[in-house]
Amino acid sequence: MDISFEHVTHVYSPKTPFEKRALDDVSIHIPSGSFTSIIGHTGSGKSTLVQHINGILKPSNGTISIGDFVIKANEKKQNLKALREKVGFVFQYPEHQLFEETIIKDVCFGPMNFGVSDSEATKRAEESLKLVGLPSSFWHRSPFDLSGGQMRRVAIAGVLAIRPQAIILDEPTAGLDPRGREEILSLFKDLHKNLNMTIIMVTHNMSDAANYSDQVIVMDGGKPLMADTPQNVFAQAERLRKVGLDIPESMEFLKMLTEKTGERRTITAFTLDETADAIIDILNGGKEHV
Amino acid sequence: MFNLVIGQYVPLDSYVHKLDPRSKLVSVFLFVVIVFLANNWITNALMVLFCLTGILLSRMPFSFIYKGLRSVFIIVLLTFLLNLFLASGGTVLFSWGWLHITSNGLFQSIFISIRILVIIVVTTLLTLTTSPIEITDGMESLLNPLKRIKLPVHEFALMMSISLRFIPTLLEESEKIIKAQAARGSDFTSGSLKSRIKAIVPLLVPLFVGAFKRAEDLAMAMEARGYHGDTGRTKLHQLRWGWRDTLLIAAVAVLALLLIFARN
Repeated sequence: MDISFEHVTHVYSPKTPFEKRALDDVSIHIPSGSFTSIIGHTGSGKSTLVQHINGILKPSNGTISIGDFVIKANEKKQNLKALREKVGFVFQYPEHQLFEETIIKDVCFGPMNFGVSDSEATKRAEESLKLVGLPSSFWHRSPFDLSGGQMRRVAIAGVLAIRPQAIILDEPTAGLDPRGREEILSLFKDLHKNLNMTIIMVTHNMSDAANYSDQVIVMDGGKPLMADTPQNVFAQAERLRKVGLDIPESMEFLKMLTEKTGERRTITAFTLDETADAIIDILNGGKEHV
Repeated sequence: MFNLVIGQYVPLDSYVHKLDPRSKLVSVFLFVVIVFLANNWITNALMVLFCLTGILLSRMPFSFIYKGLRSVFIIVLLTFLLNLFLASGGTVLFSWGWLHITSNGLFQSIFISIRILVIIVVTTLLTLTTSPIEITDGMESLLNPLKRIKLPVHEFALMMSISLRFIPTLLEESEKIIKAQAARGSDFTSGSLKSRIKAIVPLLVPLFVGAFKRAEDLAMAMEARGYHGDTGRTKLHQLRWGWRDTLLIAAVAVLALLLIFARN
């Protein structure tokens, strides 16, 4: 399911004093099976952008195609429900959407809405709860008795149980401790790898964007500024800084090190291991290390 | 969401904004009472003139006032038509079948429409120029004497200002939850009445859970900042009665006298 935006503009509250142009002539492409991160300063249009992908917002102008679905501006009758079955959406603080008496019922809510039978929905719910790592002893308890991190995992299971082909994450790790963050992100990394799921993640964390994605889209003032591999995007520290963004800590460190040692190459490394290798490489003056 | 102008404060710098909320509340109350004295062209013209002066002094763009009026337009139109056809007396101006329009009916329906419109205009003007906090402060101060008979005036005022403060927050919150549940395939806009009512549950439960959580947080934050009820509490913004406030009350009193003398 390739996703592409062609000249998409979105205006909030048009023709009122509160009018705001959140997306301005955006054309981007997200290939099927990719892990794409969308970064940008607050108010740069990241959330507005992703909300177009499953038809929650409609474009004021332009065309969006998601696989076989085409969403055009000013077109009323559209089969959004079928689209939403294909594209899952995990909102910011998704634990706020829980409402059922038991966890398992809440996870079944999504699939049942899309006309899946009771037994099939339960099967899917159990599967998804296993995927997010919630022990079965919890399944018949109320979701409101859980801790924040557990609630978030239940909410994510609720979206996974729909079995979408693509999934959108709007700051999935906001407010979680480092361990919870690691767990959630590796869950999506596995889904991406094993099920070839397309993942689109809005994030404020540059290291997460660098570590997990194979495409990074930088938004600024409602327009895409860059769309490239993390290596190429984070090599342009100055351009990112201009739009209020940082580079991952590892890159920051390597940049300072190369400046001190007079190294001319631009070295990109995001994980701990890569960074360590890069440091040894620099300290050896580019020679093979033993 | 922003269509609701009644109850929406627009911060501008004008004489009307700077008035003490107590004088505004009292004069709006009096105005709404004396409106019923008007029963001919002169008295109605006086009321309209009073409203126009208020709008001009408030520097409020007419478009904002118009937006407030738009929501009650149907009611005004309905009352107008009802009075137009039902009131009798005077000369018959037009008749078709069993429908008659008489001169009395025409005048009366015009007067009643004006009456509704000026009431809406002054109350809209009050909320457009006075922030909810000011209004509750003013109310609390006006109702202060009732504390003698052990009415919890301060608590009521606090409850009111807290609920007003959280209306936009709750609206925002429900919009978010609607989006999240729509992404999970729930449908709020189509289907039978029963299925639509059922679709509200996934919206209401999270909304209530969130509201309770927020209430707890707010109570804790208030206590942490030393809130202990009414006794010994001082205000950041003291209400101050100025000569303009006295002038406003006097103007309403003069209007009342004029209405009494000029009415039929």
